[in-house]
Amino acid sequence: MMKKTISVLTASVLLALSLSACSSVPANTVHSADDLTGKTIACQLGTTGYIFAGDIEGATVEGYNKGADAVQALVQGKADAVIIDSEPAKVFVSKNSSLTILEDPFAVEEYAIAYKKGNDELGSQIDEALTALKADGTLDAITAHWIGDEADYVSYTPDASVSRDGKIVMATNAEFPPYESKEGDQIVGIDADMMRAVCDKLGKELVIEDMAFDSIIAAVDSGKADVGVAGMTVTEERKQNVSFTQGYATTTQVIIVRKD
Amino acid sequence: MQFLDSFVQKLHDTFIEGDRWHYLTDGLKTTLIVTFFAALLGIVLGFLTAIVRSTHDKTGKLTILDLIAKLYLTVIRGTPVVVQLLIIYFVIFASVNIPKTVVAIMAFGLNSGAYVAEIVRSGIMSIDGGQFEAGASLGMNYPKTMLYIILPQALRNILPALANEFIVLLKETSVAGYIALTDLTRGGDIIRSATYEAFLPLIAVAVIYLVMVVALSRLVGLLERRLARSDRG
Repeated sequence: MMKKTISVLTASVLLALSLSACSSVPANTVHSADDLTGKTIACQLGTTGYIFAGDIEGATVEGYNKGADAVQALVQGKADAVIIDSEPAKVFVSKNSSLTILEDPFAVEEYAIAYKKGNDELGSQIDEALTALKADGTLDAITAHWIGDEADYVSYTPDASVSRDGKIVMATNAEFPPYESKEGDQIVGIDADMMRAVCDKLGKELVIEDMAFDSIIAAVDSGKADVGVAGMTVTEERKQNVSFTQGYATTTQVIIVRKD
Repeated sequence: MQFLDSFVQKLHDTFIEGDRWHYLTDGLKTTLIVTFFAALLGIVLGFLTAIVRSTHDKTGKLTILDLIAKLYLTVIRGTPVVVQLLIIYFVIFASVNIPKTVVAIMAFGLNSGAYVAEIVRSGIMSIDGGQFEAGASLGMNYPKTMLYIILPQALRNILPALANEFIVLLKETSVAGYIALTDLTRGGDIIRSATYEAFLPLIAVAVIYLVMVVALSRLVGLLERRLARSDRG
């Protein structure tokens, strides 16, 4: 009885594997941004890459829940290109030898922290803290831990001597390395570290809430979270619903394609 | 008055601006196509599985087929449909580029089939054993008895449970967005990600599902009444 079950199971797994191996991934057809016309572009739903891709003539834009799912679709030949922020793109390409990033950036943009409209007290406090962190080199130090050849992926250690009164709830989408990703049950990355440093300056405790990227602005707008920090670019549409602090990082949208 | 103005503005932003209502109608179309064909696939798979299982239970034949059917039921009912959908899309069809709608139909059809199978089997088992003997005494063989005597009676008993399964199926297709298939739910999500306004898109999507489910329940009610008319007992 058991033997039969196992043999049937093995047979079906083998069948599935043979099915998945029998066809090859189509060759890359995208060599510049101009080639994107009429192609299938995979993106993460709600990101600026997704918004930009929607403006490309005749392109089919597929919105996945995660950047990693979009990249997977590209690897398997289900999409022709992925448009995504440059730093996560580097992480994805470093983990998939069959992919490469096109030379010319698709668009340049700046990340900022979102907070509820009208909550200017919190906004200006964070703004001041950001100015201070930029001036004393803390922000650069944090970034250096996560981006570049020297990156050692060490998280920022909060200052234990700070007395904390109240908390700041940060909404993020921990699927976006190196800005935020999950490590065990911790959310790590530049955004998390930067907010820990900001909370040190403000004497607050940081609470991080992980959610879908396209829910972050709604969470901030409805007061479920105080700030949205998720490698979020300032756009006109977003500004109609939330306010933004000064920018804390400049980044580019890049195109990932399969290697030729 | 100001509230009304801002509400009208939001209505405009959510549905009219950039023809966003298209996301909902296109999504609805996909949801209906996926649900319809998945239900068909589920019925075929479910009836075949149920007949194999109950024949084995009653006669002791079809041992191997029964084993496969049991394995199918265990695996499908023991894992979430989202995981099955992702496995079919990213593992089984890893390098085969078939339309997402087909992937969704296969995933939801395979899933639904397992539940339909158990519903149909319960229907077959609910028919008195004397009915099989009655068939045999009329000179009918086993397949004929099954087809002309058992299944018609079973079908009437299980109709409410079967209808319930298809209502569940319709709502379960809302996870199709995981493979970036724009179904009704994902259509609402796309609007939500463009307007950053949660209320209207979500409520609109909910209302559309509700209307479909109520209409489906009505249809089944009609069918049940029609079948009851021929019931002398």
